[in-house]
Amino acid sequence: MTNLEIYNNAFIECLGVTEDQLAGLKYQDVESWDSVGHMGLMAELEDAFDIMMDTDDIIDFSSYEKGKEILSSNYEIEF
Amino acid sequence: MLSNKNIVVTGCLQGIGKATLEKFAKNGANVFACAYQQNEEFERFCDALATENGVQVIPIYFDMADITSVKEAAKTIQKSKMEIHGLVNIAGINRDAYFNMITYQDMVDTFQVNVYSQIILSQYIVKLMQRYKTEGSIVFTSSITALDGNAGQVTYGASKAALLGAMRSMALELGTSGIRVNAVCPGVIKTPMTEKLSQEVIESKEKMMEIPRLGEANEVADVFMYLMSDLSTHISGQTIRVDGGIR
Repeated sequence: MTNLEIYNNAFIECLGVTEDQLAGLKYQDVESWDSVGHMGLMAELEDAFDIMMDTDDIIDFSSYEKGKEILSSNYEIEF
Repeated sequence: MLSNKNIVVTGCLQGIGKATLEKFAKNGANVFACAYQQNEEFERFCDALATENGVQVIPIYFDMADITSVKEAAKTIQKSKMEIHGLVNIAGINRDAYFNMITYQDMVDTFQVNVYSQIILSQYIVKLMQRYKTEGSIVFTSSITALDGNAGQVTYGASKAALLGAMRSMALELGTSGIRVNAVCPGVIKTPMTEKLSQEVIESKEKMMEIPRLGEANEVADVFMYLMSDLSTHISGQTIRVDGGIR
């Protein structure tokens, strides 16, 4: 599985969204991406990529695209 | 009392932390034994505890003054893939100075170790607990100085009082996750930190106590064990004095 597939799956599994909803998806765009859903998503990503995210990054993780940017620049995960 | 529990304890190199590590291992807990400095004697101590008690004692070395190293320690714990049931924050520093002699840097250093790093480490550990949906316990080591004050300990007392504030709010937030948060306030306990006290000071302190003697590190460790155990599953947001009834 590629990193992009792992990343997408985390969203799909944790937030119950479909793949075609991912592009442009922002925090609180869907009901499931509330503060509780956000922590679940972060935990899933940490597990999937075997990382521990900084609190600042968890707070900055405001969209599907921003998340990729954070994982690439701060955790050396290439998409 | 702590069988099958995996607990993180900071400040394990000496004093109350070392006594707590020993007590937890003897009562069946696997312990991440956090210490500031690696040393062979400590490694041997951890190995012996593990062997004698059939538990895991995993030394982790990091500096609470350095937030990056706190994060690295949390990563090491995460990578173990062990469910975490508790954290006892014991590591702390004490830079006594009378009010007019307090430096800004001493305040910054004290708050970094005694407050900021403890909250950040707790944040990481709570995240792991929530990830595994583990019910558990976080304990902070405050001090009676936070409650009663003590001349020469303005900065230390302020940092320990900050922990009590953090503890109360954390307890409110984390209760729904099944995580209890409490604080223990030791009084005058026989540790390397109090070894430098003069006999005169010790005697004056003892006269203030209903149980007129210094406390043992082991007696504080007993309270930590209680708060980590399933005997305290309905206790959260509390401050417990372990001070021989000092007045």
